[in-house]
Order: sequence, then structure tokens, then C-alpha cells
Amino acid sequence: MTVTTQVPARAARLLRPARWGAGAVRALCAVNLLLLAWMVLTSLRGTKEVFDDPVGLPTEPHWDNYTKAWQTGGFGEALGNSLFASLASALIAVAIAAPAAYVLSRTKRKVGGRMTMLFALGLGVPGQLIIIPVYVAFARTQDFTHLKLLDSMQGLILVYVGLAMPFTVFLLTGYFRSLPVEVEEAACLDGAGALRSFVRVVLPMARNGLITAFILQVIGAWNETLFSLVLLTSSESRTLPIALLNFIDQQQYQGNDVGGMFAGVVIIMVPVLLLFVVLGQRLINGMTAGVGK
Amino acid sequence: MAAPATTLPAKAKAQAKGKAAEARDRRGAARRPESSPLERNQRRTFWPFLTPALVMFVLFFVAPIVFSGWLSLNRWDGLGEMTSRGFANYPALFRDPVFTGALKNTGLLLFVGGGCVFVLSFAITVVLRDMRDRNVVRYVLFFPVLVNPLVFGVMVGLLFRPSGIVNFVMEHIGISDPPKWLGEQNLMTMIVAVTVWSATGFYTTILMSGVEQIPRSYYEAAELDGAGAWQRFRHVTLPLSWDVVTVCAIFWTISTVKVFELILVFGGSVGGAPPKDTWTSAMYVYQRAFNTTSTRDFGISSAAALVSLVLITIAAVLLRRMMRRDAIQFS
Repeated sequence: MTVTTQVPARAARLLRPARWGAGAVRALCAVNLLLLAWMVLTSLRGTKEVFDDPVGLPTEPHWDNYTKAWQTGGFGEALGNSLFASLASALIAVAIAAPAAYVLSRTKRKVGGRMTMLFALGLGVPGQLIIIPVYVAFARTQDFTHLKLLDSMQGLILVYVGLAMPFTVFLLTGYFRSLPVEVEEAACLDGAGALRSFVRVVLPMARNGLITAFILQVIGAWNETLFSLVLLTSSESRTLPIALLNFIDQQQYQGNDVGGMFAGVVIIMVPVLLLFVVLGQRLINGMTAGVGK
Repeated sequence: MAAPATTLPAKAKAQAKGKAAEARDRRGAARRPESSPLERNQRRTFWPFLTPALVMFVLFFVAPIVFSGWLSLNRWDGLGEMTSRGFANYPALFRDPVFTGALKNTGLLLFVGGGCVFVLSFAITVVLRDMRDRNVVRYVLFFPVLVNPLVFGVMVGLLFRPSGIVNFVMEHIGISDPPKWLGEQNLMTMIVAVTVWSATGFYTTILMSGVEQIPRSYYEAAELDGAGAWQRFRHVTLPLSWDVVTVCAIFWTISTVKVFELILVFGGSVGGAPPKDTWTSAMYVYQRAFNTTSTRDFGISSAAALVSLVLITIAAVLLRRMMRRDAIQFS
């Protein structure tokens, strides 16, 4: 093969599949965006409309789908619970995990490496293994003390904080490692104690990492389904995924309310998407931290 | 870990003196004046700073594993007396066709779904490498991983209804006899498909972070040697991003064993259980332990949960073994 014949042939071979692939990837993107738009539009349509004309646009926006979901579907109360559980658990989880991650990132002890490994191993433990012991332990503790753990926000938050430990410690350990030690040395020479230097010097430097850990835990708790399904039983304590599941369940008896159901879907989905639009790259970096670098 | 030079003679001495002396020496070394005040601070705060997180970790990860191990040796409905069964729960589990079916479904998600995710996300990675607006595209493909899978269950339920939007479109392009998308025989395929679709963007992003570190010059060199697109992928991209692929495979293993929400909502109902043909190991544990319409047994469901942990562990160890390569440094 000579160079002159090789170049155009190669260019053609390279270009065609590449252009075709780019088209396919763009089409996939378009499908994703269309699906999003379609879910929002469906949440504004009447049920009969949706069934009669599956592809149509809302003739007039049925905002009452949202009031129905909010009130009779219990999404209003569930939104409050979900917000509280995810914000509180994320705050506590970061507050507990940050000091641990900091000392793990700085220590030269052998036990430090082992601890870091231990926390990372926790990432592989599936929730279904934890749920039964936690349920039994909560039920027992409730019998002996007056602390309400089943069907209560404090119980759910406690679980979410516990479950957040492996990922939050893992993420923050990596982040603290990337911070320079020199600033701490300077603070120490200026006579700052360990706690003071951690709170006044290290934490402000690590602000970005802490916020990422916080947001990721908020999203994790926001979407969590298995534990809230098992631990929360009364309608007052429901979180959003459970409210949606109940809404689906009710339809078996009360007929379909597609609009109301999609109003619920939008209430679950949109806050996370807004966070993603605002914080995109930061969330992606956090979720893929420790990979490939 | 680099041991400071000053501890070396101390170590040699300690070897002669034995273990007790070594421990004493190390403690002595900790008080040495030449260790910086910062290091001293860090040594003092180690346990106080670590303990709260460690306590939570032990309470919610270590203790449950131990407790599950013990529960799995009993029969217990959570209320009455616990009766000891020894190891009988485990053989009983593997005799239960629903459990082996659940393992098979998890395996289907793991291997077939994993294969699809691998091929798709690598293909997208390679395409994105040459696209100018790749960041926008990456964002749009990434978002499904942030959304509760329940949402996709509801979405697919309406899209693929017999008179839904998909069949409507298919009719318009001339396919008048569409498959029964949500029929029981097709449900598992749909579940795998939706899981693959929602995960692909996430894995694409991870692969991209690996692929982007491969220097362009490697590709130019390969091209000069006459390597085509496939050969460049096979001999440059794949081997040089192997570490990232391993991490992806381990992530995927962990996440497929947890698949739960999608199955729950795909049955169309929570009051009853979803069809048993679609259960995964997570669903099996949930149904056997917490479904109020059947007799609950914490023993057998704990055994099932432990089996899934053991399978994750085996898969992770095997993956590391199989895919181990020497670390690559791009300078």
C-alpha cells in the first residue's frame, strides 16, 4: 500500500463510522431530553386526554394534578419529610465523616491505611443485608427505651447517616489528601491547637469537597427507597418515593390518575435535576472520584 | 509508606529485643523531640476524630453482617419464638426455585446488562472523543443515574402500554403487531434494558476520564502504522484504560446486586408483590422479610442477603484477579 492511496481510504474509513456514531449519540441525547419534557407535559394533562391521544400536548394545563398529588396523594407532606431527612442526614454525615477523613488522610500509622480500606469495603455491602438487622435492632431499642426509631424521622436520619459513612469518608479522604499540608504547619507554628486548626484552617480550605459530599448525600437520601419503605409505616412519616409507590397502589382501587402520578414523578425528579444543572461538573467529579486518577 | 530514616536503627534494635520491646520503642519514637508539633497534634487527634464515624460504621455495617450471620441460622418471624435451624436455611434457599430464579435474574443484569453497558459506554466514549460539544452530551446522558429508578418504572409503564406512545409510533411506521412489551415474558428484558439505559451515561463519564488521559501521540503513532479505528481501540484505548474498566466492573457488580426500585414498580403494584419471575436477590430478601401478605422469615432472608454479599465479594476478587495489569503511568 502506498501512502497516496492509503490516506483517502483511511480518511473515509475514519469519517463514516465517526459521523454515524455522533449522530446516534445525539439521537440518544434527544430521546433523553424528549422523555424529560414528555414527563413534565404528562403531569399537566388530564387522564382521559393521555389515554385518548398518547402523543398530544396538554390542551389546557391541568394544574389541579399538582394540587391533587399535593393534598390527597400526600406528596406535600412527603416533600417536607424528604427534604428534612435528606438535609439533616447529609449535614450530620458530613460533620461526622469530615474529621475522620481528615485524620485518615494525614496519618502515617499503619492502622490508618487499614481503616481507609475498611470504610471503602463498606461501599460493597448491599442494603438488603443491613435492613433486617437494623429493623430488628430499632424495634428492640424502642421496646426498652422511649426513643422512637421505627416510623420516625430521627430513626430514618440515623440510618441515612450510618449508610453514608463509607462513601462520604472515602470521598473526603481523597479530597483532604489533595490539600497542601504547609498551611496546617503554618497554623501550628502560630500556636493553633489541633481542633482549632482543623475548624479554622482545614475545613475552609476543604469547602468545595465538603459541599460536594453534602450534595451527593442529599441526593442519595432523597432517592433512597428500601429503608424508608421498611422503616416508615404511617402516612404522616412518608418520604417521596413511598408517597409515589402508594399513589401507584391506590390506582388499583380508585381508577387511573395518570396526571397526578406524573405530578408526583416531577416532584421527585425536578429538585435533583435542578441541582445537577447548577452543580453539574462538581457532582460528576464527586460521583466518579477516585477513579482513573 | 515511607518510614523516616530516624526509625531505622530503632527497628533493627527492636528486632533483636522482640515484639514487646518494638512496641515500646515505637511509642518512645512518638515522643521524640524531632517529630514536628503538627505531627504530634495529628497523632493526638487521631482517635477522637475517627471514633464517631467508626462507631456509625460498626453499627450500620459490621454489626449487621454479624447479626445477619446469626439470624440466618434460625427461623424467626420477628415476633414469636426463634427456633434454631443450624445451617439448614442455606440448602433450603438453593432448593427454592424463586431464590435461584432471583440469582439468575441478578446474573442476567450483571453479565448481559453489564456487557451491554460496557459496549455502549465504550462506543459512546470513542465517539465523544471527537465531538466538540461532548460536555453537553455527557451531561444529558449522565442525568438518569441521579433519578430514582421508580420514576423510570412509571415512565416505561405509560410509554409501553398497549395503546401507549411506543405502539402509536410503531403503528405509524407500519408495524401493526408490536410485541407485548410489558407481558410477563418480556418484563425481565425491559428491566435489563432500562437499567442499562439509565447507567450508561455514568459509566461513559468514568471511562472518558480514563480515556482522556491517553496521550494523543499514541493514536497518531498507531495511525502512522496503519491501524484502523477498531485496531486503535483494541490495541491502544482498551489496554490503556484497563484500570478504569476494572473499577467500572466492580461498581456495576455492586449496583446490580442492589437493583430494587425498578422491579418493585414494574410489577405495577406494591400492595401485592411484583411477579416472581422478575425478582432479584434484593427483592427476594425484601419480600421474604417484609411482605405482610405472606409469612415472614428473617432467618431465610438473612441467609439470602448473606449469599448476595458473598457473591459480590467473589465477583470483586475474581474481577481484580482477572483484570490485574501493571499500573500505567503517562508522563
